[in-house]
Amino acid sequence: MVDEGPIISVKNVDFYYGSFQALKNISLDMRAKEVTALIGPSGCGKSTFLKLLNRMNDFVPGARLSGEILVSGQSIYGPDSDPVSIRRLVGMVFQRPNPFPKSIYDNICYGPRLVGTRKKADLDLVVEKALRAAALWDDVKDKLGKSALDLSGGQQQRVCIARALALSPEILLMDEPTSALDPIATAKVEEWIQESGMSIVIVTHNMQQAGRVSDHTAFFYMGELIEFGATMDIFTRPREERTENYITGRFG
Amino acid sequence: MSQETREAILLRPKLSRTEQGARFFFLACAFVALGQMVLIMLFLLGEAGGLFKTANFFDFLFSTEWYPTYEPPEFGAAALIVGSLAVTFFSSLLAAPIGLGLAVFLACLAGKSREWIKPAVELMAGVPSVVLGFLGLVVLAPFMVDVLGLPTGLNVLNASLILALMAIPSIASLGEDALSATPRQIQDASYALGATRWETIWRVTMPASMSGLSTAVILGLGRALGETLVVLMVAGGAAQIPGSLFDSVRPLTATLAAEMGETAIGSPHYHALFALGVVLFFLTLGFNLLAHYLGQKWRSR
Repeated sequence: MVDEGPIISVKNVDFYYGSFQALKNISLDMRAKEVTALIGPSGCGKSTFLKLLNRMNDFVPGARLSGEILVSGQSIYGPDSDPVSIRRLVGMVFQRPNPFPKSIYDNICYGPRLVGTRKKADLDLVVEKALRAAALWDDVKDKLGKSALDLSGGQQQRVCIARALALSPEILLMDEPTSALDPIATAKVEEWIQESGMSIVIVTHNMQQAGRVSDHTAFFYMGELIEFGATMDIFTRPREERTENYITGRFG
Repeated sequence: MSQETREAILLRPKLSRTEQGARFFFLACAFVALGQMVLIMLFLLGEAGGLFKTANFFDFLFSTEWYPTYEPPEFGAAALIVGSLAVTFFSSLLAAPIGLGLAVFLACLAGKSREWIKPAVELMAGVPSVVLGFLGLVVLAPFMVDVLGLPTGLNVLNASLILALMAIPSIASLGEDALSATPRQIQDASYALGATRWETIWRVTMPASMSGLSTAVILGLGRALGETLVVLMVAGGAAQIPGSLFDSVRPLTATLAAEMGETAIGSPHYHALFALGVVLFFLTLGFNLLAHYLGQKWRSR
């Protein structure tokens, strides 16, 4: 990559649900090809922050944002930014596996078909590539026509990852992607995150998980970004007392 | 723990008197419904059976000659059956797309305006059929005569339009319930993949609620099939196979309503009308089974 600037740049963002201020003056830069973990107690605003990055908060009535968020240098809340194209650039995996009640194949093809890929040969290629990238190809290659709902929870979540990857997004957002999964499935998803080489922003409740998978960690508390830095530093020598209290389990 | 207390705990699942009473009450309700159904069916079949002492079953179903008061009378129900199916079919052509469109609007697009549109739709479902029939009789029929130059405005088209008007609110209301039951999570998944609102409705919400939507349409059609007063007023009442939308027909329900009062109990005509009732019963049953089947079929996918 020639451009060495941050892939996501957040500048002085305030965010409101109606009169409630959910995020207060957040600024941070995230680097490409790195995993950034967002941690903090429930209600701290980490999920809200994540959903700002692909404009999924647009659907919340009364939502209001000030400040600026740049993705690959482009303002995503600018007057002529288009949420639909932003979401193709910034994929998302949700807390609970949410495959469509369709076949595995049709799940993966959903995004590509939206952007006009119609030819069977092209779609076949996309499906294989996305499923391989999500480390699911060997498990499901013989049953692509089966309903995605027949898979196990962990496999469903990897279908959802593959579904997002099929659009070749630049960034992948993950909102507590393993909170509904058993330990073995969790390990597989974590392993995938570590090896993906993608730019990933992951919200997690699980501090060990943040420690295992991320390069940088941001600690949110009561709508504020308390501390942001290399994961190693946050977990070994946090600058802020609140960060230390949280990661050592004194609250949260 | 003593033997007695242990037994007391083990015996606790035994139902209390109130619970037994409640269970009995609800079971009785279920049997009343079932019993009604069986008795109606036996009665209908018994009374209809009398016809086939004098008439041929095959002629009854496939002859188009319905002359119950001639000497000798002829009881061919084919024209009446076709009449019923014709008005149901053509009303569905109109009611299904509009009803489903309205359902989509209410469930996915209406936002705040839903709060007054939904009650309005439900109010429309409550308009008595005689009022709608009256509308067809005094507004639609003269309009068709004047504008289209038809000899009569009481025809398949008129009946279909009015029946569609009746079916649209039921289809919309049931359809909206089905669409609203689609999990929010899979709609979010669609948006997060860069789908627009319309793409999400068309590719996720509607397919996911297909079982409910098909049920909504079929039950709406069932309502059109069973509707009596409207077709009695505006279908024209001619027992013939319609050649076009502008021909009059005489649906089964209209025939029953018009002729039952004129018939001597126990006469062949009386039995023939019951036979029409049986046909109607099985057609309605067929619609309901189809709704059930489609509901199951889409659900299991």
